[in-house]
Amino acid sequence: MKRLKYSILGASFLLVILSCSKSFLERNPQGELTYPQIENKEGVEGLLIGAYSMLNGNIEGLWASFASAPSQWLFGEVAADDAHKGSNNGDQPNMNLIEQHKPTSTNDNLQVMWNRCYEGIVRCNNTLKVLATVQAGEGEKFDDARAIQIQGEARLLRAHYYFMVWRVFKNVPYVDETIPVEEASAIPNDVDVLPKIEDDLRFAEENLTVEKYNEEVGRVNKTVAQAYLGKFLLYQHKEDEALPFLKSVIDAKPDIKTLPFTDNFDITKENGPESIFAVQHAINPDGTGDNANVGDMLNFFYGSAPISCCGFLQPSFDLVNSFRVTDDGLPMLDGGYQNDPYVSDFGLVDKKDDSAKTKYQLDKTIKFDPRLDYTVGRRGVPFRDWGTMPGDAWIRDPGFAGPFVAVKQTIEQAQFTTNTVAGTPQVTGLNVNIIRLADVYLMAAECYVEAGDLENARTLVNAIRERAATLPKKMVGGTPVAAYNVKPYPSFLNPDYAKNAIRFERRLELALEGHRFYDLVRWGIAADVINGYASFEKKYLDISSSINFQSKNEYYPIPQTEIDRSGGALKQNDGY
Amino acid sequence: MKKERIIAIIKTAMRISFIHALLISIGTFTTYAHTVEAQGALKKTVSITKKRVSLKDFLENLEVQSQVKFVYSPSILKSHRMVEISSMENNLERVLEEVLAPIDIHYKVENEKILLIQNRQEIQVGGKVVDAVTNEPLPGVSVLVRNTNNGILTNEQGQFTLTAKANDVLVISYIGYTGQEVRVNSGKQVYNISLKPTTSDLEEVVVTGYSSQRKKDLTGAIAVVDVNQLKSQPAASAVEALQGKAPGVQIITDGAPGSTPQIRIRGYSTINNNEPLYVIDGVPYEGKLSWLNQNDIESMQVLKDASAASIYGARANNGVVIVTTKKGVQGKPAISLDAYYGTQSPRSGSFPKMMNPTDYARNLYDSYIRANAVPGSTFTNMYGSGDNLVLPEYLLAGDKIGLQVTPADADPGLYNYTRDGGTFYQITKANQAGTDWFKEIMGNAPTQSYQLSANGGSEDATYAISAGYLGQDGIIKYTGFDRFNFRSNTQVSAFNNRFRFGENAQYSYTENYGLGSNVNTPGEYQDEGSALGFAYRIPTIIPVYDIMGNFAGTKGGALGNAQNPMSQLYRAKDNKNRSNFFFGNIFGEVDIIEGLTARTSFGLRYENYNGMTIGYPNLEFAEGSNANSLSEWQGYTTEWTWTNTLNYKVNINEDHNLTLLAGTEAVRNRNRQLNGGRNDFFILGNLDYYYLNAGTANITNASTGTVGSLFSIFGRADYSYKDRYLLSATVRRDGSSNFGTENQYGTFPAGSVAWRLSEEDFMKSAEWLTDLKFRVGYGITGNQRIPSFQYLDRLQSSLITSTYAIGGAGTTTGVRQNAFSNAEVKWEELKSLNVGVDFTVLNGKFDGSFDWYNRKTSDMLYPVPLPSIAVGGGASPYVNVGDMQNKGIELTLGYHYGKEDDRPFKFDVNLNVSRNVNEVVRLAPGVTQQIYGAFRSLETTILKAGEPFGSFFGYKVDGIYQSDAEVEAGPSYTGARVGGLKYADVSGDGVIDPADRTIIGSPHPDFIYSLGLNLFYKDFDVAMFFNGSQGNDLYEATRYFTDFTTFDGALSTRLMDAWSPTNTGSDIPSLYRGASDFEYASSSYYIQNGSFFRMKNLQIGYNLPADKVFGKGLGVRKMRIYVGATNLFTITNYTGLDPEVSQANSTYPVLGVDRGIYPIGRQFMVGVNVGF
Repeated sequence: MKRLKYSILGASFLLVILSCSKSFLERNPQGELTYPQIENKEGVEGLLIGAYSMLNGNIEGLWASFASAPSQWLFGEVAADDAHKGSNNGDQPNMNLIEQHKPTSTNDNLQVMWNRCYEGIVRCNNTLKVLATVQAGEGEKFDDARAIQIQGEARLLRAHYYFMVWRVFKNVPYVDETIPVEEASAIPNDVDVLPKIEDDLRFAEENLTVEKYNEEVGRVNKTVAQAYLGKFLLYQHKEDEALPFLKSVIDAKPDIKTLPFTDNFDITKENGPESIFAVQHAINPDGTGDNANVGDMLNFFYGSAPISCCGFLQPSFDLVNSFRVTDDGLPMLDGGYQNDPYVSDFGLVDKKDDSAKTKYQLDKTIKFDPRLDYTVGRRGVPFRDWGTMPGDAWIRDPGFAGPFVAVKQTIEQAQFTTNTVAGTPQVTGLNVNIIRLADVYLMAAECYVEAGDLENARTLVNAIRERAATLPKKMVGGTPVAAYNVKPYPSFLNPDYAKNAIRFERRLELALEGHRFYDLVRWGIAADVINGYASFEKKYLDISSSINFQSKNEYYPIPQTEIDRSGGALKQNDGY
Repeated sequence: MKKERIIAIIKTAMRISFIHALLISIGTFTTYAHTVEAQGALKKTVSITKKRVSLKDFLENLEVQSQVKFVYSPSILKSHRMVEISSMENNLERVLEEVLAPIDIHYKVENEKILLIQNRQEIQVGGKVVDAVTNEPLPGVSVLVRNTNNGILTNEQGQFTLTAKANDVLVISYIGYTGQEVRVNSGKQVYNISLKPTTSDLEEVVVTGYSSQRKKDLTGAIAVVDVNQLKSQPAASAVEALQGKAPGVQIITDGAPGSTPQIRIRGYSTINNNEPLYVIDGVPYEGKLSWLNQNDIESMQVLKDASAASIYGARANNGVVIVTTKKGVQGKPAISLDAYYGTQSPRSGSFPKMMNPTDYARNLYDSYIRANAVPGSTFTNMYGSGDNLVLPEYLLAGDKIGLQVTPADADPGLYNYTRDGGTFYQITKANQAGTDWFKEIMGNAPTQSYQLSANGGSEDATYAISAGYLGQDGIIKYTGFDRFNFRSNTQVSAFNNRFRFGENAQYSYTENYGLGSNVNTPGEYQDEGSALGFAYRIPTIIPVYDIMGNFAGTKGGALGNAQNPMSQLYRAKDNKNRSNFFFGNIFGEVDIIEGLTARTSFGLRYENYNGMTIGYPNLEFAEGSNANSLSEWQGYTTEWTWTNTLNYKVNINEDHNLTLLAGTEAVRNRNRQLNGGRNDFFILGNLDYYYLNAGTANITNASTGTVGSLFSIFGRADYSYKDRYLLSATVRRDGSSNFGTENQYGTFPAGSVAWRLSEEDFMKSAEWLTDLKFRVGYGITGNQRIPSFQYLDRLQSSLITSTYAIGGAGTTTGVRQNAFSNAEVKWEELKSLNVGVDFTVLNGKFDGSFDWYNRKTSDMLYPVPLPSIAVGGGASPYVNVGDMQNKGIELTLGYHYGKEDDRPFKFDVNLNVSRNVNEVVRLAPGVTQQIYGAFRSLETTILKAGEPFGSFFGYKVDGIYQSDAEVEAGPSYTGARVGGLKYADVSGDGVIDPADRTIIGSPHPDFIYSLGLNLFYKDFDVAMFFNGSQGNDLYEATRYFTDFTTFDGALSTRLMDAWSPTNTGSDIPSLYRGASDFEYASSSYYIQNGSFFRMKNLQIGYNLPADKVFGKGLGVRKMRIYVGATNLFTITNYTGLDPEVSQANSTYPVLGVDRGIYPIGRQFMVGVNVGF
């Protein structure tokens, strides 16, 4: 009896344990979501925000995503003739190799750029995929207008990420929302992705409205699609197709002469009329900076500067001198600006009997385009509201990267309190322009030249120059710090002259905004310009001495990690 | 007639008369029935109407039916009240036999009555167990009635009493003594037993999976650790003391106070987590062991092969360490106190040597000149220009540096040490003689330990309690560890010892303080961001303090961007990590029928931990900030384990021993942690002020958690025939919440056999052979320790990764997929074959064992990183694709002198040698290699099929380029130069490119070994312990900073002998400003031989004759005092701080890469053990 009792007890005990074990072993992820939880309208909107969220190139928090910065300061500027990596030799040594055009496939900057772009693409694809699921499902659905708008937004963003990664690597693999993960892993990079990018852009242009969803300024709309499509077509040398789109943008916007140049780099004037597509940066509600301008955080100065950081992105001697103008207030298109260059206090040394460096005085008689002092910080010139730029005291290693600092990615000291991350003030809330109106003017000008319409081209360029002439002069002690002068072109002599003038204007107007290297490559002049630049610049800085730009350097090697992970599906670019 | 015969007859006679006397005495209570002729009555047919009836009714019924009188003692009725009747009708004789025999009653016809006699009378037996050699009583000896659970431990005086029946066999066993068996004689109540100490410990009973076995019956590869040896080595962690004590177990320690060393059993079975499973008092535990007090450990076994470990199924791949804590012993309380105090000092001889400032400036200058570069103004401001270098008097005064500093600048009146970067004005003098940063940050550190324990108990209840304190300062300044622990183990038995219950419980409070106070995360106290990492990087010209005694630093120029390691340590002195840790179980056991025991145990782990980190402004640092911060965290981990087992032991015909076990186990765990942080505190350094509310900026908070559950059923059978043939089989089926429905369950069987050759008749003649046993075992274990929920696609909504300022200002949070799934993810499986032999010869003078094994992990979980196009920045799922293999041999040899005949001089020598060969057999389809271990721009390590796990990877140095012609001729790389490293063209294509990277070293030793020596002479004892590792390479990654110009900082004195046109024989590249990244890429230049031989421990003890010193009245039973030293010497060619380099964590474990490790100090100590 007793034994029986025990066995019954034991058996029922076992039964209870065994029967509950199924649910016992079912646990749910902690603090994470699964697909069934987001396959609804809110989920799709959330995924779309997630797709926008990669615009700032940052996924890991601070100190991680520099190469993928929306400003493209590394691949767009340091790699061109506008800027040096800056800081000192040992800091981010792999960036030195980008500057010197000696990238190996294991350079971590390549992997960062590639990975962040594809993260953006995956997010766009997921948005489109779940949108389709929701629309095909039983639950609550989007109305057709919003559904197509979401598609337009997601596809425009996808085009953007593909365009970014294509510009750097050229031969890139393509997946859309229909390709499952397992297949995506083995997609080769031997198919031209440009038609797919164009499809997305055209879809967005055709389907998006000018009105933004919820009137949220950060959303992309028809205007963005037109500008982007124009830019994209220009990159394909389809100027005739590009022009109508660019012109629609120009027509839809106020005359650029009425819009101050400085608004583009003023944190209090963000999303103004000139802004077309800008990456929205903001300090998080909790004061942290993951959604702020992380990509440019290294580009704050060193030493005693109000924001002391790392001292990257230092303008080149070549860039600074290209702002010099002739007596007519025109740029020195023939490269004459390299003669007798202005070098600030570079090379001066304090000695016991002669403190030449300390005594250095700014030469205020040099004829400069006024945009110089809104682009470059140099000794003796007021720098925003930070005071007068003191020279080496703001620079980590002037012997390594020169005496200049960059302006456009910084903000006013008065704005530090609300627009920087406490403790890490080099992370600011400043937006970064992807496309602004001046860019569209100059792109349209290129199209006019191709169409043989030099006059319209000149009008557009001159509009930019006339606006530059209105820039307030930087003053010290009541006198301007330079003989500022900028004048419109009286005429474009011939198409080559016009082309050259527009290209020079693009450099001056958009300097350090991440366009330069890509422009040089699409114009087919990268090797000439960069090698010429190196032979000038190396007189001052050793870092430029070993530059030997070859045509293969127009695109970077596919990151080795990606080739390895693709199981051989990805092939390395020629020459690497 | 022989004498024995006569005695036997007398004895028989006595027994008969005794029974008579007994019968007469109980006659008073007998019942009389009608008188008939009894013999005839036996043939009478009787019929019984009930199948089950009380004995009393039964007998009365028979008396009536048969008319025969029964005579019996009433006690018979009491003890067996109910009887079963099978035949309803039969003659009386048959009925009596059938019914009474099973209940041990026999009958006898006498004087026309039927006498009923309880066959075997239960009698009270007792006695005393003494040591046969010393005649001293032995407490805690197990006295067990064979094949029952009826047993007891001897008390403090060696005495025992229990009830047994005549002819029962008492099994007397005690660790370290040869067991004895004594048959209970009904006429004898007192059994005095003297046990002979064994020279071998084969009779020792060891705890294995869910049961226990005699050591000599083990069929699997199980290392039984000599706990006494363990104790002679002072260590904060019980695991640390395990080093070298068990063959095949590799332990790598580091010097961080309170850290749990890394333990690897038979190599690396996986690229994932390689930590073993601990089973503490029957409760499985995964994690660090710094909470466990070494003094509380009674025994420790390491289950190494699958046949032993697979009863722990899916958690047993990395081996199982079974820890049993001390249990109570019957008797008066025995109290003991163990205390020691010691001092650890850094092994200053091993400090890396850095150049003095003069040499540094010269070498740095030359590195510019060599590269045709002009030293920048920061350099010239510091050391002057041209070839005439000088050392500055001041490093910094305000924003002037080096030679720029004028006496006016250095006016102390200007000094302003503030947290406002704008007005911060520091004046720092150059330390022209050079600062030895390693010497500055390390110092002597006291260690102390006090442990008090008591145990005792009565027949029905025993207890063991202990309490202790351990305080250990780190040899790196301002770091340390404190532990307070309390343990209570009690056991109570009831219902005649048929029901037992009890508890084992430990509470401990631990506190780590100082830099990297969370010792369970090595990255915080080691590696490049730690004080150690920066000690390699900070220039020697920087003094520790500025002119006013505040910390000096790299602010200024040409000084690089290292932090002052002393400032880091000092500022972190109040960082704390505290843990309230409870671990224990309650259990109940009941003997259902003879041999069958049911047991239930409910174990609980509950840890509540919290800590804080305070950050201070560090404006003296080149990349300093004025932020001052506080972050705090609080968290808990709970895990309960409910285990139920049924254990059946049976002995058939004395020759067959069978043990069967079946059980279930359920485990559930949860962790949850809350973090908060703020910046900008009004005052600094005041611990009373540091509360989050007082901070005004960077307000952050976060919480994270994990959950998991496991459910298992398991069974086990152990069979032995004549102690000669041993067989064991286990099986376990585990279900885990880590896997999806497709592969939720895994089954892990194992079996082993052993043949004890020495028990065979044909071997009995070999007198010299005490024991010889061959073993073979095969089994499958599993590993489920991967991040949870790999079988699901997971999405994240977070401020960091999926938020956008879509409205221009403010932020809107979206969603992104952060982890990609593999629905088919399942267990890793390890199949292991073990062949071994154990031997003891010359009555225990020599003993040893030898094992050969082959362990093959298949379906190894591998997070095959998918290309970005598939997963973006999300996590790739684990897939079961890899194979890994470990083959090895282990040898243990022991020699024991003087033990068996108790000579005054005794000694033991124990040698362990083990060799393990690891190979990654396969990764994933299409994945032949995976480079990992990122450290700055290095990637140190590779996973590659056909190579050992964690192999070092990079270029193979093939000398130094001697001339431009040689560079020109190639093979060379972009930026190759004379005086730079030349690499082997492995791919043979004439150029050096990433394709030339190859395997450049292995972190796995050819073999590891240890040698223990124990000497005893009268009251003196000496223990010595050595261990070593041979043939492993180490990757000295700190050379990245000290041997190249990657960062301005310290330079190793190695470079004084660098290549130059006049020193062409050197294999050290010349320093070259702006060297190609090829030069400092991962290469064999970083690889060093990591072999070492270390005297780990020396202890000399003296047993005071306590009676004489203290007199009997004081009650001091025993007193031993000792002095000891650990890490007395280390023989190695390794140039880093310490050849014991624990793994760093990356995507996969990074083995043997020295990024700045916490070195082990040398410790001298004195201690005392007192018993009351």
